[in-house]
Amino acid sequence: MWLKMFEPSGPTTCLVMKVSDMEKELRQEAGKLLEEGTVDYIIGFAPGSLKFTTTPLITEDIDEINNLVINPFINNNLAKYLPEIPGRVGIIAKGCDSRSIVSLIQDKQIARQDIVILGIPCSGLVDLKKVEKLAGKERDKIDDIVVLADKVCITAGGEKKEVPTTEVLFDHCLGCELQIPKEYDFLIQEPAAEIRDYESSSKQIQELKKMSPDQRWAFWKEQFGHCIRCYACRQVCPACFCERCFVEESQPRWVSPVSQWQDNLIFQAIRTIHVAGRCTDCGECERVCPVNIPLRSLSKEMYDLVGEMFDYKTGMDVNAPALMTAYELVEAEGLIR
Amino acid sequence: MKQNTEEQPRIVGFLCKWCSYAGADLAGTSRKKYPSNLTVLKVPCSGRIDPLFVLKGLRLGFDGVLVSGCHPGDCHYQTGNYRARRRIVVTKKFLEYLGVPEQRVQASWVSASEGAKFAQVVEDVVENVRAVGPNNLFSDEG
Repeated sequence: MWLKMFEPSGPTTCLVMKVSDMEKELRQEAGKLLEEGTVDYIIGFAPGSLKFTTTPLITEDIDEINNLVINPFINNNLAKYLPEIPGRVGIIAKGCDSRSIVSLIQDKQIARQDIVILGIPCSGLVDLKKVEKLAGKERDKIDDIVVLADKVCITAGGEKKEVPTTEVLFDHCLGCELQIPKEYDFLIQEPAAEIRDYESSSKQIQELKKMSPDQRWAFWKEQFGHCIRCYACRQVCPACFCERCFVEESQPRWVSPVSQWQDNLIFQAIRTIHVAGRCTDCGECERVCPVNIPLRSLSKEMYDLVGEMFDYKTGMDVNAPALMTAYELVEAEGLIR
Repeated sequence: MKQNTEEQPRIVGFLCKWCSYAGADLAGTSRKKYPSNLTVLKVPCSGRIDPLFVLKGLRLGFDGVLVSGCHPGDCHYQTGNYRARRRIVVTKKFLEYLGVPEQRVQASWVSASEGAKFAQVVEDVVENVRAVGPNNLFSDEG
């Protein structure tokens, strides 16, 4: 089953991944697609070089198909690669990935007929930072993480610790709205465990909303003082598909390329506004941030905002027009005089 | 710290060429009086206004930003202002969440025949922005 992914392994041996039935099914299907020439490439997840990690796998080599894995650490949103890869592509998609793929189709960045979506059910992904914090140890010192629907067993240095699963899943997974892809060509028929905690999913946003505007601004000013402008958030975001980003324009130069909080904040604020209606709350921006800026507290707020104002859910309907290209004759009353 | 002098507040206004800019012209030719705090930038359509313009205006030290275009249904390009509307309200709401007082970013529909409305809008915007004081959002102190 999807939830029990790792066989216990000794402290010195490297992690052995259990080839689950789902993986077998997936490899078979992906292999078939390549073999028959239905697709030119397969995009999926392979074991990472570090413990408890996976890495994106983009391959046209049928032998590499056996590296495909499914486990609670497949956190990249693979939709990011679709506009860049030529030809027909088979892509492994969790619920959130499938929403990003649909959003790219809505924005006409990719054509539906060029994509074969291999849907997998997802019960949530494990946030290693949370596990490290709970175990009080770095990932190298953690021997095993066994994820079950209700609890997670963390073994580290002979000690075994059990915590509720809600405490180790990513915040965005706790508020997930699509666990099983709606848009797919092939779907692995397995149920997904519903693990939710809406309160802690948007805890920080609620706290920020209780503050005064000045306090909120001070909070973000402090946060963006840490930003090093590595643009990891932009590079990982499937909604950020512009060939040329406004931060790199020099005539006119909209924001300074030098890292200073004012321009860092403007960069992120504009990025969030530009991806409004494309953001699926996949949480990748926050996960990759090397200085731990709570970026999801921006993107999730924007996600909720457009949901509330325009009754719009990104990536749920492949035939719906993209948010910012459509309009109703009467909407957003009272905000413009 | 900037002082609230007579030229304050400084407002930058993005006006669409077909309606609001012509409305501003009409206000002038019909000798309507309105505060001189507004710096006008002409844009081809309110749909041209990127949220970036709004933040850049605030970053450059303007105390408030006014965005104005044709009334819904009157766009010279049919749908430019409908698209602008979604963008503007999203920007406005999001900036409020970040901690920018809502008065700093204002939007209004002004047609080419509404010289009087334009004068009134500018007057109201200036008053509203003055109420929240000078823009210290991007200053390093405080």
